[in-house]
Amino acid sequence: MFAEALFFGFAVLSVLGAIGLVLFRHPMNGAMSLVVTMISLAGLYALLSAKLIFALQLIVYAGAIMSLVLFIIMFLNIQDSDLPTEKGRWLYQLGGIIVILPIASFLIKIVKSIPGSEATIVGSGFGGVKEVGLVLFQDWLLPFEIVSILLLVALVGAVVLAGKRRMGK
Amino acid sequence: MNDFLSLLPLLIISSGAIILMLLAAFEKSRLETASYLSMGFFAVAFFVQLLVGCGPTIVIFNNVFNGMLAASNFTQAASLIILACGFFTAMTTHSYFKVNHFSSLEFYAIMMFGACGMLLLTLSQELITSFIALEIMSLAIYVLVGYNRSNVKAAEAVLKYLMLGAFAGAFFTMGTALIYGGVKSTKFVEIGAFCAANSATAPLILGGTFFIFVALLFKAAAFPFHAWVVDVYDGASTPVTGFMATALKTAIFTVFANFLAQNSGLHGSWVTFLFYISVLTMFGGNLIAIGQSNLKRMLAASGIVHSGYLLIALVAISTEHFTGSVIAYYLAAYAAGTLGMFAALAYLGGEGEKRCTFDDFKGLAKVRPYSAAAITVFLLSMAGIPPTAGFMGKFYVITSAIAADHMALAILGIVSSILSMWYYLRLIINMYFHKTEDTFETKESVFATACTFILVFCVFAIGIYPIVI
Repeated sequence: MFAEALFFGFAVLSVLGAIGLVLFRHPMNGAMSLVVTMISLAGLYALLSAKLIFALQLIVYAGAIMSLVLFIIMFLNIQDSDLPTEKGRWLYQLGGIIVILPIASFLIKIVKSIPGSEATIVGSGFGGVKEVGLVLFQDWLLPFEIVSILLLVALVGAVVLAGKRRMGK
Repeated sequence: MNDFLSLLPLLIISSGAIILMLLAAFEKSRLETASYLSMGFFAVAFFVQLLVGCGPTIVIFNNVFNGMLAASNFTQAASLIILACGFFTAMTTHSYFKVNHFSSLEFYAIMMFGACGMLLLTLSQELITSFIALEIMSLAIYVLVGYNRSNVKAAEAVLKYLMLGAFAGAFFTMGTALIYGGVKSTKFVEIGAFCAANSATAPLILGGTFFIFVALLFKAAAFPFHAWVVDVYDGASTPVTGFMATALKTAIFTVFANFLAQNSGLHGSWVTFLFYISVLTMFGGNLIAIGQSNLKRMLAASGIVHSGYLLIALVAISTEHFTGSVIAYYLAAYAAGTLGMFAALAYLGGEGEKRCTFDDFKGLAKVRPYSAAAITVFLLSMAGIPPTAGFMGKFYVITSAIAADHMALAILGIVSSILSMWYYLRLIINMYFHKTEDTFETKESVFATACTFILVFCVFAIGIYPIVI
């Protein structure tokens, strides 16, 4: 019962945070509401007894990445006068809602069709560093390896798109 | 050993990409060297892939990778197409960057990383691996699209593509999550087995496949998700557009077919959906293409139409004896024509791509008869006139549709093919039956020109191949 209440609390908070991210005008407010989403997602992971993911979510996403984002926004020192005037903003939002509604109702239908099941206690080791590591390096070795290429591409790409460029001779 | 050999082209390309990336850090290395090196790596990987052969489907390193990669004749053909696309694009860019000076050495490294993602995508037999491969490919392509930082159109293109591509990626992961919820596995084989044992229309499977299809159709530029294509293709530099239009489409349709062919129930439950999507894609694409005055935009729109034909082939695949030969053949034919067209545009476009509309190519045949003839061959191949590869490709697609009892689809395919003549012939008429207004000077374009004429040969060779064999 208590876990269920927690689940609903975190779920609602994470969705509200995401909505805030989209709707706030100032980037700072948007980033802060993203922090809310990240933290409530961590709560959801904890409810699923995914210990390692819970810790990583807090440290990496809510901690490191968000502070980097906030740092950059503060660095740019954005005032209200710097923000573009968005005419017809409501119209776009209305359009977005019209597009999202059928998808949302579709998803709700799918979720409703899932048969309910009793929550069972998982083993004490579940979701720990050792268990996740074993699964990651035994069953999911290939995705783990190719993520390295993905990160490399992202790194080189960021340097190419944003960095100083030595022109080809 | 066989496992390792099947993986070898991928390894060659990824190590080549890393070598080029490291090379880019040195002051002394020159852009030309990088383009020769990437041509070399693509050529070696191509011949290795050709020599390895494949035969029956093999699961690569089943114990270590847990059946996440598998090679078959279909994936071999797809990776041959991708590697050839990479090779010809490297050739084209060599000339293109002689007149358009915005490149740096990392260009080739990123292109090869993109090819690496595409090869992984063709081999992958599992949704998470597919997702990562898809993102490797997409990230590389985003960067290539926005490579020319001083071009506003390129900046617009990369922003649009990045935003929409991120949505597609999100849909893919959501679909994966739903399917995992239903099947308790993300492997194609297990999904197929689940669909065979249970119904393929279980809500979780249906929703999951729907979202995955949304992502794949977006990348393949099929009808409701085609809006980005024209702007992105127009904004990217010509050789990059050629690479995107061909290699990326090959990778996407390979994984699409691999996924769909797992089970007849899964395929059957989506036939109607794909039927309408393919019809709308063909006619929507034609409608857009007819209205264009810019060549790259027209080619982008015609790429949408070709996606429609490939969707016909997807509707018509047989899940019991899946070979994917029709799809692979059509992709090869399409790739040869489109790449050749973009190679020709790359060197005829001149500095800053100043010749880009139908009107700019008026009277090309009088000044440069050979180039005009080559372009004519590519256009006729895309339109599907015998004896080019494009004709045979369309022939196979349409006969496969008839064999699978989709007469309506076959007829609509032919109608759309006739409609598409309008914009292909328009350029040919402009080239041959108008007065020359331009001198069409080009400088230092040996490689792109060579590439164009090799591809003319390829168009005929691919067209004759099934008759000879």
